[in-house]
Amino acid sequence: MTAEPTGFLYPFIESEERDSSALLLDLSTSAREKIAHSRSLRHDSVQSCRAQLERAAAAMADRFQRGGRLFAFGNGGSATDAEGAVDLLRRPPHGRPLPAVSLVDDRAVLTALANDVGFDLVYSRQLIAHARSGDIAVGFSTSGDSVNVLRGLEEASQRDLLTIGFCGYRGGAMAASTALTHCLIVHSESVHRIQEAQNALMLELWSLVQDALEQDPADQDPADQRGIR
Amino acid sequence: MMAVVEATASEADTGSAEDLAAAALSLARCFAAGATMWCVARQWPAHGRHVAVEFVHPVIVGKRALPAVNIEGIDVIPTVRMLARPGDVLLVIGSADDAGTAELLRRAEAWGLTRIWLGAGPRPSSGAAEHVVWLEGEDPALVSHSGDMVLLYHLLWELTHVVFEHPGLLEAPPACTDEVCITCSDEGRVAEVRSIGAGGLVDVMVEGVLETIDATLVEPVAPGDLLLIHAGVALTTFEELRR
Repeated sequence: MTAEPTGFLYPFIESEERDSSALLLDLSTSAREKIAHSRSLRHDSVQSCRAQLERAAAAMADRFQRGGRLFAFGNGGSATDAEGAVDLLRRPPHGRPLPAVSLVDDRAVLTALANDVGFDLVYSRQLIAHARSGDIAVGFSTSGDSVNVLRGLEEASQRDLLTIGFCGYRGGAMAASTALTHCLIVHSESVHRIQEAQNALMLELWSLVQDALEQDPADQDPADQRGIR
Repeated sequence: MMAVVEATASEADTGSAEDLAAAALSLARCFAAGATMWCVARQWPAHGRHVAVEFVHPVIVGKRALPAVNIEGIDVIPTVRMLARPGDVLLVIGSADDAGTAELLRRAEAWGLTRIWLGAGPRPSSGAAEHVVWLEGEDPALVSHSGDMVLLYHLLWELTHVVFEHPGLLEAPPACTDEVCITCSDEGRVAEVRSIGAGGLVDVMVEGVLETIDATLVEPVAPGDLLLIHAGVALTTFEELRR
């Protein structure tokens, strides 16, 4: 017998189990519960972070208006969330495309830095090269403890960037860091549910930035300002 | 403190949950048989990378690492054709209106891959993949960023590992139990032309196996063409089917 809590559903020796219908029912019930939980957590996270999201969006819109760019970074699944955020900003479903760069994208840069100076510095060293006062740094870490993400946000803060951190659990080291202008915490213990909710928070943040840019009377496309179009 | 679950799943979620369960059972069986999962997310490549890292480097310590590889770039079709072996899995993430995704899935049938399609927006036609797991009635671009798409493949990963706890179910039942000869039935199969022989004979890949068939009814054909074949004879090309 299995030690898992649902073991009682399968009252036979596992290796002789042949009928998959009970398992399929169990799997779909579990999936439905997790879909509901994910939806609920995303809704609650956006609500509890709303004031923080609005302040961050206003500051981001202000920086984008002045020609600022956004740099995003994270590790593993959070690296792809950073890439997803950059994709959302640059190639939005509607509204204005905004200048954003993923510091995860270039594997030559990433492996060179990891090999030569260490993985803890892969984002901070890139920010030393790219960041200008008035830019924005966004770090993703489900634990809030990823050292390279923290180092990146610290470097960004020293260079007068707006710094935004996405994290989970109880915020980890990110929540305690003075380098973060805005810290958005998803209160969950599940890495998966945290990442899903971080997606929702980022989408809400993007939406609020678009709203702020639309409402600005001095509204002008940052790309226009640079004479690109 | 975790949020208390209050939201109830909608009917569409129930459908997605059942589709995910079936996909996870198939996927676990393929992995158990030695498959690699090839991931393609043409419109949102970050999702393809996320799926690969999820399976290769499990977030829960002690879960087995499973072979998943993200493929992206301009040559996705020739790359997957070259790398994938019959019995492997193709997982695609994309909307139904993406022509490149649809073509990849159709060819993958000839290559003998089990196809899982995760997407959003208008649903694809039935039979487009062995497993279609869909988020319906939403803007695909927004769903891609809302956390729902990530949720789908997180759950696929979680459920696949639950199936591994049931070793008796990892061996797939025989594909066909109803003793109907495929040659005598009306079933046509998708074939991809590999090379052209003499006298109207061509070598094609069908369900991952190389076969020589008679293509005189649809000549001229070229390597890479997709044909619908039945009983060793090409009946039509796929361009004609679409018309």
